[in-house]
Amino acid sequence: MTTTLERNATAQIPKGGGLARRQNFGTAVVAGVVFAYLFWLIAHLTLDSTGRPFGDQVATFTGLGWLIGFWIGIGAFNGPFRWLLGRDHSHADDMYYAGQNMGKARYWKFTTDHKVVGVQYIVVTMVLFGVGGILAMAIRTNLIAPGNHFVNQQVYNSFIAIHGMVMILAMIVAVAGPWGNFVMPIMIGARDMAFPRLNALSLWTLVAAIGLLVTTLAVGGLPVGWVVMDPISNQAGIGMDFFALTIIAFTVSTTVAGVNTITTMMTMRTKGMTLERMPIFTWGVFMAAALGLYAFPYFLVAESFQILDRTSFTSFFVSTGGGTGWLQANLFWLMGHPEVYVILLPAVGALFEIAAVMSRKPVFSYRTAVGSMAGLAGLSALVWAHHMFTSGWAPTLGGPFMLTTEIISIPTGLFFLVLIGTLWRGHIWMKLPTIWLFGFMANFIIAGITGIYLSDIPLDDQLHGTMFVTAHFHYVFVGSVLFGAIAALAFWYPKVTGRYLNEYLGRISFWFVFVGVQVTFLAMFVSGLRGMPRRYASYSIIFEHTNFASTIGAYTIMIGMIILGVALVTSWNKGEPSGPNPWQANSLEWMVPTPPPLENFEVQPVITEDPYNFDKEMVRR
Amino acid sequence: MSIETTEPPAAGPHGEDGGHFLEPEVVDRGQRLGVWLFIGGDIIIVSALLFTYLYLRGVNTSGHWMSMLGYQGHSYAYYQNAANLPAPTLIHVKAMSAGFDWLITAVTVVTAGIIWQGERALRVTKNAKAFSSAAAFATIVTLVAIVLTVIQLRAIPEIFVATNDSQGMAYTAYDSAFMALVGSGLIHLVVLAFLGLGLTVRASRGLITGEKWYQARLIRMFWVWIAISSVVVAAVTTTINTIH
Ligand SMILES: [Cu+2]
Repeated sequence: MTTTLERNATAQIPKGGGLARRQNFGTAVVAGVVFAYLFWLIAHLTLDSTGRPFGDQVATFTGLGWLIGFWIGIGAFNGPFRWLLGRDHSHADDMYYAGQNMGKARYWKFTTDHKVVGVQYIVVTMVLFGVGGILAMAIRTNLIAPGNHFVNQQVYNSFIAIHGMVMILAMIVAVAGPWGNFVMPIMIGARDMAFPRLNALSLWTLVAAIGLLVTTLAVGGLPVGWVVMDPISNQAGIGMDFFALTIIAFTVSTTVAGVNTITTMMTMRTKGMTLERMPIFTWGVFMAAALGLYAFPYFLVAESFQILDRTSFTSFFVSTGGGTGWLQANLFWLMGHPEVYVILLPAVGALFEIAAVMSRKPVFSYRTAVGSMAGLAGLSALVWAHHMFTSGWAPTLGGPFMLTTEIISIPTGLFFLVLIGTLWRGHIWMKLPTIWLFGFMANFIIAGITGIYLSDIPLDDQLHGTMFVTAHFHYVFVGSVLFGAIAALAFWYPKVTGRYLNEYLGRISFWFVFVGVQVTFLAMFVSGLRGMPRRYASYSIIFEHTNFASTIGAYTIMIGMIILGVALVTSWNKGEPSGPNPWQANSLEWMVPTPPPLENFEVQPVITEDPYNFDKEMVRR
Repeated sequence: MSIETTEPPAAGPHGEDGGHFLEPEVVDRGQRLGVWLFIGGDIIIVSALLFTYLYLRGVNTSGHWMSMLGYQGHSYAYYQNAANLPAPTLIHVKAMSAGFDWLITAVTVVTAGIIWQGERALRVTKNAKAFSSAAAFATIVTLVAIVLTVIQLRAIPEIFVATNDSQGMAYTAYDSAFMALVGSGLIHLVVLAFLGLGLTVRASRGLITGEKWYQARLIRMFWVWIAISSVVVAAVTTTINTIH
């Protein structure tokens, strides 16, 4: 097995590509801005400026212009129009799109190679965590003392919403984006995703969506919370139009990615790769993809209605015209609860994988593991109204929704038992991925159990809308998913770079983040139990000490994340070389060179057994 | 994991496998599943729109499913420039024309039928030229459906509303939900027109033939789903609209 870190410098860039030769991220941004301006101009010239929705109409046109321009500029429409004209890609075109011999330039282009897309997702995830993290620090700084005015209250409200949405996007892509693209196809023995161009489309549509989301901050903000309930969203400024367009673009991105992922796993497996021999991580990605495909269209529909209500005086969510905010709440949570599992399942799959490899034991009860993930995905579609217990909607359905929600603790318990069973009496190798795995397990207990409290209607009546809820879902997202995502990063980082993520910095980072999470969010539970409402810019003196603790804890998390960021960047070129299979694992991604060549495999592999048959005597460094 | 190796499969047809030398059956199977999954996502969207329609009718907020406080009978500019608007009155809107609804649906179903027949004939007779003509015909009929849908959308009645902080032309909940269904139908038809045009061009350029017909079948699958959704939407909106 050889390790190639440098590409052949003399190799030629393929002759094909056509228009794509001139397209990259730069042209996409320029075209996006130009089209945004053109659409803005057209809106001003053609629309009646006297009606109230004029500002919203212009904003919607401008945002659409950005999206269409960005798509044109990056090359997303090349494929469809070549198909329309019957001028299909030649082999050279395909190789150009795949970024053959293109070096670093391919990371800035509409590149179809799944490994490039995976690395692009790593960068996008880091950017999202960076933006969301800065907003989180601003929020916690504002809350360090009662009556503190670090930012003014409207800005604070916007920060709450944008922090929420940015972090949700970050969490959705944190595991499925980088590793669902980089390693999943190799794991099943495929040369790429089933639809490589759709893969690039999904990545760049997400980038365009992030542009729209950040724009909301520049055009008056989004002081309505990321759940954008009505009627307040209907009354918000034009930031809301950009938010709605963000969601529409994001749904396009996830739908395309979901179709691609499922198709890849169902049709691209190599010979002998039966469903039961697939590495368990791929099942996590599969379940998340399927669930996302089901859930996100509701959000697209809700936000399309929002745009129509705001620009065209329809009455979907407006009660004077016969609409109702409950419609928005239902559509939102039909997406909103499954979305939590779209976020969680890839991380769970990655942790199963890590637990097996790092303890040198098979996944304990593989079928239970797959079944628990399927159970989580299936049940999560039937619980959405637990977010609306106190909204007054359909009180008679409270009981059934409380029941379905509490039943979710069964598959959750099963997946936890699978993790413990896999580690039990294993020969556990305490490296970075394992350390973050144990952090996940500690935090997820708290996340899960406080969730059961909140599913209980009498308790939810008390706790709804308090910081208790905020602390609960931060244990889910920060304490659990982020820990899982970092474990996955530490685990597969050597496959991308050929080097270990710095173990020393990684461990320091772990302790800062782990302790920070406990301080921040345990204190936040106390604030909530004492009755502190969430989303408020200021608070009574009785919440002083717990908020001070939460803010100090948040800074601690930030320090840990900065250390991790430093490790991530410095290890990329200077880290300790890892070789192609640093964890002595058996799945296919470790059998190919590092970094894997363009088509992954020199010769097509044939699989004869599952990847968890470890040689226990294998020597470890 | 123990691994044996085999030679890579023979090169597939260019442009259909991302240059990865996949066996044609793998490409075909993948594309078919992909289309089914996109149809699945689309089913969720259409279901959400139908749910919206039925839900808003069901809750009938303040009795305003098909009525609204406002003014009707003049242009937007008239009300804007009116010096003193009288108190608004309760305006009742009527259900949209069921006949027109079914006309659009019928035209859509006809386009799907043309494509289906054309694809079947292509596989039997191997006549790509005839298929190209059929696809062109289906595309033109789709354009007719698009025009009819635009006429339908423009016929949805607006009511002028003026409150302390806003004024403009507004739609009742019924008209809003109806507009969403017809609007999604319009988007579907535009996609079909694009696909139909592509089939026409590609068949005439020899990219779809009696041997390479599977793309025609994939598009036919999507086309038939659009026709079915059009029938379902028409059935719901024409039979369930008023509140007695
Ligand atoms: Cu929930």
